[in-house]
Amino acid sequence: MVAPAMPKSWYVPSKPHKFCPGCGHGITLKALGEAIDELDIQNKVVFGCDIGCSLLAWNFFACDSTQTHHGRTTPVMVGIKRARPELICVGYMGDGGGYSIGSQHLLNSAVRNEKITVILINNTNYGMTGGQMAPTTLPGQITETTPYGRDVEVTGYPTKGPEFIAEITPENAYVARATVSKYKQLKRFIKNALRNQEQGNGFSFVEVLSTCPTNWRTSAEQTWHFLEDKMEKYFPIGELKNPLGKGEK
Amino acid sequence: MGEYASGKSEMAVNRAIELKNKGHSVTLVDLDTVEPFYTLRPLKKKLEEKGLNLIAFSREESFGLGETGAMLNPRARWALMHEGDIILDIGYGVNGARTLNLVEGAQESKELKVIAVVNYTRPMTNSREKIKEYIASLGRVDAVIANTHLADETTVDLIKQGNSEIIKAAEELGIPVDYIAVEERLKGLINEENFKVPVKFIKRYMPDAIW
Amino acid sequence: MQKVVGDPRKAFITGNEAVAWAALAAKAEIMFGYPITPQNEVMHYWTRLAPKYNRKFLQTEDELSAGFTTCGAIQAGKKAFTATAGPGNVLMQEPFGMAEAMRLPLLAVIQQRGGPSSGTVVYSQQEVTLTTFGGNGEGHRIVYSTSSHQEIFDYVIKGFNTAWKYRFPVFVLGDGYQAKMREPLEMYDPEDRGIEMVKPYALVGLDGRIGETREPQHLCNIYSLEEELYEVVLKIAGDYDAMTPEVVEYEEKECEDADIIVVSHGVVSRAADDAVKILRSQGIKAGYFRPITLRPFPQKQLREALAKSGAGKILIAESSYGQLERLTKQELYGETVPIKSLLMPGVGIVDSDIVNKVKSIM
Repeated sequence: MVAPAMPKSWYVPSKPHKFCPGCGHGITLKALGEAIDELDIQNKVVFGCDIGCSLLAWNFFACDSTQTHHGRTTPVMVGIKRARPELICVGYMGDGGGYSIGSQHLLNSAVRNEKITVILINNTNYGMTGGQMAPTTLPGQITETTPYGRDVEVTGYPTKGPEFIAEITPENAYVARATVSKYKQLKRFIKNALRNQEQGNGFSFVEVLSTCPTNWRTSAEQTWHFLEDKMEKYFPIGELKNPLGKGEK
Repeated sequence: MGEYASGKSEMAVNRAIELKNKGHSVTLVDLDTVEPFYTLRPLKKKLEEKGLNLIAFSREESFGLGETGAMLNPRARWALMHEGDIILDIGYGVNGARTLNLVEGAQESKELKVIAVVNYTRPMTNSREKIKEYIASLGRVDAVIANTHLADETTVDLIKQGNSEIIKAAEELGIPVDYIAVEERLKGLINEENFKVPVKFIKRYMPDAIW
Repeated sequence: MQKVVGDPRKAFITGNEAVAWAALAAKAEIMFGYPITPQNEVMHYWTRLAPKYNRKFLQTEDELSAGFTTCGAIQAGKKAFTATAGPGNVLMQEPFGMAEAMRLPLLAVIQQRGGPSSGTVVYSQQEVTLTTFGGNGEGHRIVYSTSSHQEIFDYVIKGFNTAWKYRFPVFVLGDGYQAKMREPLEMYDPEDRGIEMVKPYALVGLDGRIGETREPQHLCNIYSLEEELYEVVLKIAGDYDAMTPEVVEYEEKECEDADIIVVSHGVVSRAADDAVKILRSQGIKAGYFRPITLRPFPQKQLREALAKSGAGKILIAESSYGQLERLTKQELYGETVPIKSLLMPGVGIVDSDIVNKVKSIM
């Protein structure tokens, strides 16, 4: 048997990982693993994961890792980074953790230009708790708590995280939105976000449009259709701020 | 004014009562914008009974205390419009003499005297160098009161040693020392002639002022 | 790290300042905080002093963040602390729970204010239940209730050591009066008193090459199976119980022949101490018992005081509506001595309050 190629920074005993088939977490974490390898920072990364499906990554990497409470990964990473600026702190969370219960932490860490990297998975719903509405749920989208479709008159419009973070951060912050449908770009953005922290510039944020076929109840084809034709239309892909270069639209 | 817990309010109350007893008309102004404890507020009634005009919130008036933030008494802003002697008790914070910006006419007044109260047992002012650094940070200071004490544990040696450092620091800054404040109960133990500056014996009113 | 106090000498300061100086002397490296009365001067003095001693501070967006950043800095191996009160203490129960679960030596100073809700900003003893048993856990914490500035200074220093030695979150429980009162105390550097400070160490960001010289650290506080959690909580409880005899502290006076024992904690015990003296001078055999650690509670010692004195009554005096009373009753389960109480939530208690109450129930 031939073992599949894995990034060096992946923790092999925890593989195969626990994410659902078709979930975008695995793709994102592969991109993160390869980015860590290519930058050769495995020994100084501290990976922090939130509550929600991101929790399943708690032992995903052969990097020092800690798991926190729902929405609180950002302040824990801030605490570690403030205490030990030489470490590379990566907070990993979902749209609920980052944009809802932990939004004050995300917003204020961005304003303070904390030198950490936050990778946030946007899959338009709360996955682990059973598919409820998230801040990112699309207008009209059916979830367990919007059984007749998200009514924007009642619940407002989807949160556009990178847009607001770009607005409140100084120029040396890194802000991008990637998608699991464009792997090379995803990895490039994550790598840029890590490099930006490594260079001591400022807050580095990547939202990743991701898939949740289990809660969407979609076939492979329908999943890809929802990602590319719905989500990517609503949430524009690209670098909103890139102090390392010109930025990709 | 002076460092937190340096004895500003105690000095202000003693001075106010001293002037009142001489027949002056005295207005005492609480310029502490936050602190609910050890300000003049809990003593308001008692001091008014002594005939002082007190500009301070009463306990009942100061809703929310530090939680509301805006704790400048509107009457304090116009305090200098009063006749007679006016004593401002400037409390709390790192802004020093800048608190006077809150009082209408303070910057223009020719009669205003800014006095810094220094207690040598306060850790931020427990050496000559620290006292100099601290007084310099306050902005305008016209005179110093040397108020070295440890409440009930004050000793004669402490009064001598602490206050002489304050006096030296003030000399080096070229600022006069108005007097050394010593609690009344130590009167018999202090030889006033040992000091280069006057000694004033004071009563402690502030221990009653815990909210 | 440079010495903070130098020659020990008396200082005239407030309780909040005592916290800041003690944390410096205890070699705390970083404080995270969010403004709330009556603990603000802890931050004010820490921020004035920290740069002079090469220490750090971050004012966070709220108490949740202050607690979690403290947890993060501790995981990174730094001696970190925070301070809060009232509704801030409520919010911090979430990060305190993480510290309990992950055995993080977090130190928090709680300057109690009035409640429920925003209550008052001034004084109370209504955060006893929250501080000892708050959060969705078992109250595996150490809570020192201080009664003087000297004790605030001493127990902040001791608290860092207890935390880092036993790896339970430690609380120094004061109140608005203690925070703001001024009184003399002697400050010192712990090493000058022969106190060796426990060295902090990191859980993440360790030396070495992962996969070559060491394995990665994977810290977790959530478990898939009920049985896993059961094992974890039982292990924590076992460690806590084993530690208890080593950390429990109390103060006892005049209990040998007492007919009534006055139980109080924190600043109220100053009034209780005076009241017992007055009562004794009037021929009433009163005794004084004060738990210094509210968690773990000096249960054995209070039972012993009851046994040796044969006291026929206990009076519990506190500035809350029965929080110490509840704690004491559960710890004295099985004793038959009647327990009376003087409950004055939100207001101070003076010696005459206790003297009068004792006389009314004797």
